[in-house]
Amino acid sequence: MNTLAMLTTTSVQVLYFAGQTPQGEAATLIWSERTAKLIGRRTDAQYAWSQLRVSPRVGSADRFIALPDGGQLQCADHALLDRLPQESRTEGVVAWLERQWGVALVSVALLVAGLVGGYFYGLPAAAEYIAPRVPMNYEQYLGEQSLTMLDNQALFRPTKLPAPMRQRILDDFHRLRADLPSASRLHLEFREATPAIGANAFALPGGTIVLTDQMALLTQSPEEVSAILAHEIGHVELRHTLRHVLQGSVAALVAATLTGDASGVGLVVTGLPVLLVQASYSRDFERQADDFAFDLLKRRGYSPAVFANVMERLERKRDDKTRKSTAQEQGAQSNPLSFLSSHPVTKERIARARAAAGVTSGN
Amino acid sequence: MPADIDPSSAAASTDASAPSHLLQPASSVTSQSDFQSPSPPISQPTSQSTPPPNTAAESTHGVKLVFRGTAREYFPIWIVNLCLSLVTLGIYSAWAKVRRKRYFYSHTTLDDTPFQYLGKPVPILKGRIIAVAFFAIYWTTTNFFLSTLPWVLLAAAILAPWVVVRAAAFNARYSAFRNMTFDFNGSYWSALKVIYGWAVLMILTLGIGFSWWQQRIKRYMVTHYSFGGEAGEFTATGGQFFFTYFLAGLVMIGAGVVGGGLGFAILATQSRYGIWVGVVVIYAAYLLVFAMIRARLGNTIWNHTRLGAVGFRSTLGVRKLAWIYFTNALGLVASLGLLTPWAVIRTLKYRTENLEVLLQGDLSQFAGGGRTAVAATGAEMGEIFDLDLSL
Repeated sequence: MNTLAMLTTTSVQVLYFAGQTPQGEAATLIWSERTAKLIGRRTDAQYAWSQLRVSPRVGSADRFIALPDGGQLQCADHALLDRLPQESRTEGVVAWLERQWGVALVSVALLVAGLVGGYFYGLPAAAEYIAPRVPMNYEQYLGEQSLTMLDNQALFRPTKLPAPMRQRILDDFHRLRADLPSASRLHLEFREATPAIGANAFALPGGTIVLTDQMALLTQSPEEVSAILAHEIGHVELRHTLRHVLQGSVAALVAATLTGDASGVGLVVTGLPVLLVQASYSRDFERQADDFAFDLLKRRGYSPAVFANVMERLERKRDDKTRKSTAQEQGAQSNPLSFLSSHPVTKERIARARAAAGVTSGN
Repeated sequence: MPADIDPSSAAASTDASAPSHLLQPASSVTSQSDFQSPSPPISQPTSQSTPPPNTAAESTHGVKLVFRGTAREYFPIWIVNLCLSLVTLGIYSAWAKVRRKRYFYSHTTLDDTPFQYLGKPVPILKGRIIAVAFFAIYWTTTNFFLSTLPWVLLAAAILAPWVVVRAAAFNARYSAFRNMTFDFNGSYWSALKVIYGWAVLMILTLGIGFSWWQQRIKRYMVTHYSFGGEAGEFTATGGQFFFTYFLAGLVMIGAGVVGGGLGFAILATQSRYGIWVGVVVIYAAYLLVFAMIRARLGNTIWNHTRLGAVGFRSTLGVRKLAWIYFTNALGLVASLGLLTPWAVIRTLKYRTENLEVLLQGDLSQFAGGGRTAVAATGAEMGEIFDLDLSL
């Protein structure tokens, strides 16, 4: 519709809905200087322009004009309608934005830039900044709760390790934590785990570290136990529990906003981004804890290579359990689900440990 | 059959002039909006006092809902909404919701009149803030204070019927057709009785009663909806619900056996990629089952719902819907989400255009009532906790 046509238009065909029944009456709205006349077969009314309210433009849909007496007119979108009082000013601006394809393109670019920047830099940096400023008390309380829960659910049983062995590990642990800022919070617990958990170690929120009997028995030297413990101390020292919760929930919140529209039509795939992002953050934390451990081990006079040794033994043990086939021999890197894993690929961790030790892998 | 969905009339309404039926001489249009316009309209009697001779009072007219939204048109709306929501740290999302709802409503037309969304952003924002606060409490509890979780869940259980009732009321009262709003008048106690009374039965029957529980809830929702003083009627039985779930269960068990077996077989002999085979088979079955429940239950519910003289015919197909979901998922993954508007629009279009409104007599029996305001809090809580029990 060009400007000339707009100016010469003096009447608009409308459907008039009085609001008493869902039956409409075809009518004509005739414009003059400051008033509009509504002429139908049963209707003859006149309204001042200022009394009318026009619904916002949305796509190519018909628009509505609210009348002061509660009636309503439906009519096709028309440039003339923009000159009447609008029901919502903000929506008028947004409706204009929606019509500019440049805005849409810039929006896509902004969105992508914002998400990529937030994911790689903004969110981790924000969590790293906030985490040390959150009081420790609640985390310790949470850690106690988690341990009680794990004990109650029979995932853990009391340790069966001989007392001298436990004492030796505790001594190593105390040597490791000696001058760390978190030393007073760090605390070691021994538990025998169910076979499902097996050889493992956990850093609970607040500074409690749980070492399973199976893991203690898997190690072949005090240095190897220290390597495992140093990694878990890294999680505590770097406040990974809290940072994981912070980053994970913000990522979930953003993802929910982004995929909200598609949640009913995409099935499962809309949940995928959160899963991937959280797993990727989790792998980042594992790498950070590894780096922390390598550094701590070196400062205590151990070689990070012991970490590689114990990881290798752990990997062999797990593979024995899952009865490796020839195709799998090529290594864990071919695991098709590694991008969903919470831990980095073991081979990568072993290589990084050897690199940190300055020793190139001989085999 | 009526001419309401013939392509020419749809095309005409997209240009700057009025929809085609509005351009006809006023004398011929009186019964246009009564869903009774046999084509061509010009053959209609010109006298308003005489009813059209070919329209006996007991005959039923079917009018299909038409969805006029397009992905091309919705894309900028979607992207602008997202951008402004992220930039304002979520505050704009209330305005975005109005905009989105308005788009979907006003491009859904019945007999050439669009539906209207009347929700206002500020009440929605208030509702959202309250809902987010509740969600924060829930989140903090599950993450940090697990021992108090039972109390929070108890509070949520007490609150749930209120959320259901308020959400339905908000959605109904801020939805309008032809200048008349819908209504929902369920009360807290009545909702509580239906939700928990029948839930007890479900637990006692070890879950088999789920279908009957769901059927009672749907019946409760439908019969408390109204339009123009006419309340909904609901005649679907729990047995019909059960049959759909039974079929879905069979498919899922079959897929579990086939997918699991195949996956383990490949895993044992060849490679870890057996996991993928299992995942793909189970996902395909999940897709099919989801589409099955959506289509079959949707059809059951609509085909057994009446609103005064208005009945409905829903003709959703399981395979077609499963195909739409499947291609949506592919498109969303391949485009990293940029095809969201396309996926949303085509799904909505299919679902809308498989719904037909059946009318006996004319619409004059619906009488408009006054409007009542209702806070958006319930609706927003329902949305954030995914507590959608409406139609």
